[in-house]
Amino acid sequence: MAAAQDGHGGAYRRLLNETSDWLHRYFRRRLPPGDVDDAVQEALLAIHRRRHTFDPRHPFGPWMAAIAKRKWVDQLRTIARRPTEELSDELAVADHETAVTSATTLASLLVQLRPAQAQAIMMVKLQGYSIEDACRETGLTASAVKMNIHRGLARLTALIEDADDFH
Amino acid sequence: MTSTDALILTLSTNLGPVRRRSVSREIGALVVLAAGELALILMAGGMRPDMGGVILAPFMAWKIGGLALLAGVSCAVAIRSFAPPAASRRDLVYALVLTVFVMAAGLFVTTAAESGQPLIERLSPARGLGCATAIVVLALPLMSLLAVLMRRAAPVHPKRSALASGLAAATSGALVFTVCCPANDPLYIVVWYSAGIAAVAAAARWLLPRGYRL
Repeated sequence: MAAAQDGHGGAYRRLLNETSDWLHRYFRRRLPPGDVDDAVQEALLAIHRRRHTFDPRHPFGPWMAAIAKRKWVDQLRTIARRPTEELSDELAVADHETAVTSATTLASLLVQLRPAQAQAIMMVKLQGYSIEDACRETGLTASAVKMNIHRGLARLTALIEDADDFH
Repeated sequence: MTSTDALILTLSTNLGPVRRRSVSREIGALVVLAAGELALILMAGGMRPDMGGVILAPFMAWKIGGLALLAGVSCAVAIRSFAPPAASRRDLVYALVLTVFVMAAGLFVTTAAESGQPLIERLSPARGLGCATAIVVLALPLMSLLAVLMRRAAPVHPKRSALASGLAAATSGALVFTVCCPANDPLYIVVWYSAGIAAVAAAARWLLPRGYRL
């Protein structure tokens, strides 16, 4: 990064490629599959725009991880704001195993939410259920499922943002 | 080539050098601005006329010393929070606790003559509101500068950085205001200075993170 700050394009390209691999692994454990690429690109853009703030006397890893965590929170907010019906269609994936095993970190965080909120997020946002399917499974109305998703994601975002030691 | 690869290629092509963020330059800018405010007050003849006589009084030592300590600590916390991976909650909590502690310490330097007066006279609300407003006015340029510094940097906890910036601007503004504030009663200072500081900190916490995106 120090070389990149001095305008060395080749070093910067290598750094961004390695960073991109790390970010893909990071976000795959924390976001629904359909949101990973967006989050990686947003994080790369943030790293590029804010590269002047990196202090070469300190390691690059914690600096990048802090930006990645911020982008994770931003992406969760975006998911929470997105209309739920449209998202469920986008996230319905053919490979069920991929959907179930992805976002493991996010799934493990759901225990901190109310059970109904955690269940709604798990089904609709991580496992690709439609709102109608989630209603059938849970016995709740569509508006109750949507409200659980919205409030659950908002609570989750606040929990992640407030935790200093959670990356 | 994936869209991420294309993005990396775009970002790394024709890359120019960047001017690194400098903490000392940011501190220097804050000091120059606060010194400029102080110089303007002195040039306008705003210094309290009896400053020479009261400068060594206990309440003045508490007022100037305490506010200088708060301004220094809160500016350090704010500037430290502007770049990842800092902006820890612990730093901000320390600064807030120190603010409460320093302001509360003023209650113990009240002189016997002042403590005999009725409370409403000691607080003098009309004059006190003027003092709190003056602190807000003096803090505004500092808060604006801190807002610019915050947006140029990369705070990963913008709400914390905003609150720290508000505290830094408010305590620095209050420190500058001590040269022209005629109040000697620590209770008055505790109440109205705290009001001014709280107003600026709350405004900064509300305003500064708006529209910010890393």
